Amino acid sequence: MLNQLVELINKNVPGANATAFIPEDTAKLDGSVTVEAAKILDIATWLRSNTEMPFNALHVISAVDYVEYFEVCYMFAHYDVENPREVILKVKLTDRVDPRLDSIVSVYPAANFQEREAFDMMGVRFNNHPDPRRILCPDDWVGFPLRKDYVYPKMYNGMEVFPDSKMNFEDREFKARQDLINKAQKAASVDEVQ
Amino acid sequence: MSTQVHQTGSVKDYFVSLYEGVTSTARAMWITFKYVWSVKPVSIEYPEVREVLPERARMRLFNDALNCISCTQCAMACPVDCIYIAFEKFPEGTEIRKASNGQAIRLKLTQFVIDTALCCYCGLCTTVCPTECLTHSHDYEFSQYTVDLMKYDYLAPDVVAWRDRIVKS
Amino acid sequence: MQSRWDIGTPEKPTITSETEKLKTELLTLNMGPQHPATHGVLRIEIKTDSEIVAHAIPHLGYLHRCMEKHSENLDYRGVIPFVDRLDYLAAMSMEWTYVAAVEKMLGTEVPRRAELLRIMTAELQRIASHLVAFGTYIIDLGPQTVFLYAFEMREKILRLFEEVSGARMLYNYIWVGGLWNDWSDEQLARVAAFCDEMEVEAKKYYDLNSTNKIFINRTANVGVMSTQDCFDFGATGPVLRGSGYNWDLRKNMPYSLYEEFDFDVCVGTGEIGQVGDCYNRYIVRMNEVIQSIRIIRQVLEKLEPGPIMAKVPKIIKLPKGEVYMRHECPRGELGIHLVSEDGGKTPYRLKVKSPCFTHVSMLPRVAPGQMIADFVATVGSIDIVLGEVDR
Repeated sequence: MLNQLVELINKNVPGANATAFIPEDTAKLDGSVTVEAAKILDIATWLRSNTEMPFNALHVISAVDYVEYFEVCYMFAHYDVENPREVILKVKLTDRVDPRLDSIVSVYPAANFQEREAFDMMGVRFNNHPDPRRILCPDDWVGFPLRKDYVYPKMYNGMEVFPDSKMNFEDREFKARQDLINKAQKAASVDEVQ
Repeated sequence: MSTQVHQTGSVKDYFVSLYEGVTSTARAMWITFKYVWSVKPVSIEYPEVREVLPERARMRLFNDALNCISCTQCAMACPVDCIYIAFEKFPEGTEIRKASNGQAIRLKLTQFVIDTALCCYCGLCTTVCPTECLTHSHDYEFSQYTVDLMKYDYLAPDVVAWRDRIVKS
Repeated sequence: MQSRWDIGTPEKPTITSETEKLKTELLTLNMGPQHPATHGVLRIEIKTDSEIVAHAIPHLGYLHRCMEKHSENLDYRGVIPFVDRLDYLAAMSMEWTYVAAVEKMLGTEVPRRAELLRIMTAELQRIASHLVAFGTYIIDLGPQTVFLYAFEMREKILRLFEEVSGARMLYNYIWVGGLWNDWSDEQLARVAAFCDEMEVEAKKYYDLNSTNKIFINRTANVGVMSTQDCFDFGATGPVLRGSGYNWDLRKNMPYSLYEEFDFDVCVGTGEIGQVGDCYNRYIVRMNEVIQSIRIIRQVLEKLEPGPIMAKVPKIIKLPKGEVYMRHECPRGELGIHLVSEDGGKTPYRLKVKSPCFTHVSMLPRVAPGQMIADFVATVGSIDIVLGEVDR
């Protein structure tokens, strides 16, 4: 199914460069189709409106941070009793500072909230999105939490993030303190002997 | 079902909907009216009466510290990191006690604190304990006024004495 | 004599240029984070033109606990209590979806008794979840008696779950490779007795509510979501079936042992009101309870003694790759996208596609033109749980 889809995409959407990844063990892992980032809107339009292999719903947009690049996975599904199918469409973004993609809200309205979440959590911006705001984090939060190099802010609006009184440092470091005390005692007893 | 929703405003519709409204409400009221005399009470009058919890109920944790072999499996299995364990080696020459399942206790436990305010009562720590000294009790009434009092130290002398009173071995 | 009740006749207003300068504004209301009808901390900013809603903008994130980031630091067994807390009213289904994703990547084969018991537990959980949906929906609309009737039945299920797993709501029961504890014969006999009682109760709820003229007037033709709307937004579960489309993952893309079972898919037919309105979604949920009872009875016939846990390595390490697992949960289709790196002991990325998140995104499309009371009925009928929406 994936190879057929790749052929159809390459035929109908010029410049898409679709490639299929089929894992060796298909019972354990899912295959996916990787496409060119700049053509995502054309591909989405074709996916919704074509007659050979239509996909009538977008399930979820999941952004994954591999340290050198981002990968945005679109899960499309077709709800039809005779030919149900689903596919994972992946797009690779190499710009770490300001990754951008075209928004597919005009084709799949489900993408509205999903793209807002991808922006909120991973920092991937979508062009022409009707409501580009954060969705889960507060509107004035700084930083993109699900990135691998995310550093927690120390303060937020005058409140301390991870205050020391709740971190149980004394209990966690009990062993280290005990070791220090024992070492000091041993050194003191050695001194006395000498 | 003959209940209509689209009404055309005719006189017949008026009487039909009146009839349907009265009959459906009367049928429903009869069901609730039956509860006046025919139903056993289902509420348990807490706190005078306390429910007997099933055997596997996962309430506050209890650790039998004298049987602990300091393997730290529970601290590693805990998803929220609420168990804090510290141990050290016994000085040379101390005789080795055995835990209740026959395993020898080679490490001296110096700290075993569980922060019950962080604990999510999932039970993952109790399943990995090899001597089964960490168990769930049935105590669910342990709220405190400050969060610091929710840290339970299972090596405290009063806890160990209480355990000795109950566990004879 | 002028009576003191005589206020005189008001003057007829004349249209002057002053009157023409008056303009109407939309009034912004907050169906705020603390509200008994939003089933959680959900803030919906409603712009109303007198009583009619013009725009509805949901603001999420009040219950955001960043579970996806936490799970990147936990081993695969430790994520199960976190996944429980997503949709806390249907925790067994959440656990099963996640565990099925891990088991697919590991390649473990779950023993038959464990699979059958998982199906039975998931269907019991579906009944419990629909009882909450039904009870709280009714109480949103006004009546308060039925809420307690629904919860009395739910109490029986929760007591059974407490005896088997140890907790009433956040179970940590479905483990990688099988189940934690086994069901005894006495508990299975009580499940069978519960099924009989539940059928009688379902008839009672039908007489109380589904034929009640006031309830019908409140929910029929309200909040109509067409099939095209559902496909646009990716709606699944009772919302899609209430709009007349016959799609159930358990029948169309079966997983686990669902192919062996004989049950019907409940689809809204629109004999009262229209297809896709609140009444149809409610009736789909009520009928699903009956179908779940059928499945549970078939499971009880097929059960045989056997092991409930497969051999799983002590430290779970998954191969490099990803899996997207979908299961039919009471509120829709839950999707778990699990990405792992080679030999990883913790998930590299765990993305949860929650059905309630997609259903909340439909509110701005459905709301305009309704009255505020109808909007409350619509929000209740899509049955959201904020733990799942915000994760």
